[in-house]
Amino acid sequence: MSTVAAHGLSVGYGSEPVLTEVEFEAGAGTTVCVLGPNGGGKTTLFRALTGDLEPIAGSVDVAARPAYVAQTERARLDFPVSALDVALMGALGSGRWWLPARRSDREAALEALERVGLGAQANTRFGELSGGQRQRVSIARALVAASPVLLLDEPLGGIDPASAASITALFSELRDEGRTLLVSTHDVESARGFDLVLCINRRQVAFGPPAEVLGREVLEQTYGSEIVVLSGDGEPLRAIAVQHHEH
Amino acid sequence: MEFASLPNPADLLELRSTRIALFELSLLALTGGLLGAFVVLRRIAFFAHAAGTATFPGSVVAQAASFSPRVAALGLALGYAGGVERAGRAGRDPGDAATGLLLVAALGGGVILASDVFESSSSVDRLLFGTAIGLGGADLVFSAAAAALAALGVVLLGRAWTAVAFDPGGAPSLGVPAERTDLALLALVAFAVVAALPAVGALLTTAVFVVPAAIARLFAGSVRTLIAIGIGVAALQGAAGLYLSLWLDVPPGPAVAVAGAGGYAAAALLRAGR
Repeated sequence: MSTVAAHGLSVGYGSEPVLTEVEFEAGAGTTVCVLGPNGGGKTTLFRALTGDLEPIAGSVDVAARPAYVAQTERARLDFPVSALDVALMGALGSGRWWLPARRSDREAALEALERVGLGAQANTRFGELSGGQRQRVSIARALVAASPVLLLDEPLGGIDPASAASITALFSELRDEGRTLLVSTHDVESARGFDLVLCINRRQVAFGPPAEVLGREVLEQTYGSEIVVLSGDGEPLRAIAVQHHEH
Repeated sequence: MEFASLPNPADLLELRSTRIALFELSLLALTGGLLGAFVVLRRIAFFAHAAGTATFPGSVVAQAASFSPRVAALGLALGYAGGVERAGRAGRDPGDAATGLLLVAALGGGVILASDVFESSSSVDRLLFGTAIGLGGADLVFSAAAAALAALGVVLLGRAWTAVAFDPGGAPSLGVPAERTDLALLALVAFAVVAALPAVGALLTTAVFVVPAAIARLFAGSVRTLIAIGIGVAALQGAAGLYLSLWLDVPPGPAVAVAGAGGYAAAALLRAGR
């Protein structure tokens, strides 16, 4: 039984779709890598799954309100909140957002921070943490929300190796707890560690286990000219997405 | 220009009118500190300013029609808040240019209307810059109600306002109805702005709802501290403004605003030196 699914999904801004033909299902205890280039529709897909964007066509089906971890570069670093304050925001989804936080909410937030390895930094100002630590705090906030479905938008982008290792290990733990994780990235190599891979580039290119999906043809369709495939015997050994950033 | 000799600060408590003014400014300090924190965090300072100015033509017309200027101002300010929220919900943020246009239209229209309504410019000055001297019981009751509503709003919605201000895009996925909490904040600010009109006027409401919180923002490490420092700064600014007003024989509204601006400059220098 699936906990996250999209059927014939087209979604975009206004009446113009920016992502079409999305068709996938993921069950409990599954990790899904959403792979695609910048501007390929990864964040748009997540916004459709959170209900922030209405489908233009097709439908999405999510078992519960997903916990969403946005890219941390969006965060306001001068905001007067601690790591604990941010983690506590995850408790707002319990239906008591108009009341002060309970002791149990606070304990859950502290526990989530411990789990992402930041218990000692609970009272540190969010903006004073490193990029990787801020990402882990955002994940702690999602853990406090206790949703069976987590959507993580580029959680490994531009963070230190220690944080990346910690976050990757956490993905396995969360999967073993029966949660469904959708993790977006444009890093082809990291996609190989997931149960399923969803390749998109303004439309769905492929969906399935990494061994089946991450072939030369699919990667070239996903990334177009933005990929360099270093191949062995017909199959890619290593594929590097070349991302162009606007300055 | 000659300055009078410095009055004794205790003189502020001598006269009944200055005592009432001090009490009114203290109530506004409480409201301004509570709501100002979220005005600054949510980045709606320009809204707070525009909500005050938008009431000006309505107050003029209401006076001419012997209608309650406070009710007219409240209707306009709340209507403006609703319009801003609606525009935001429809994905059409009115933006700074539209807000600036509203400010110009409200100010210009109000002055033109006032030239036909009032025989002297002093009434226009009072609407634009307020007068904390000569406030009545109704003014104090309205300000007390605004302070009570602000306190209730912060207790009930403070967490949600903080989460929405911190991550506006991510708030819905946290389960926070950002549109409704935004509307509540805008409506409370609009109500509080109307409460501040008699004391500081339509043009100087930011002195109460933005400046103290902006000063507090330079030092606060948490939202609670931001609120606490904001209330303290607003109270000090009110007392200092009233004292300046007594000393220089000028209206209290502008004096409070000047005290706030001076306070911000000093705080920014202090912060830069740390």
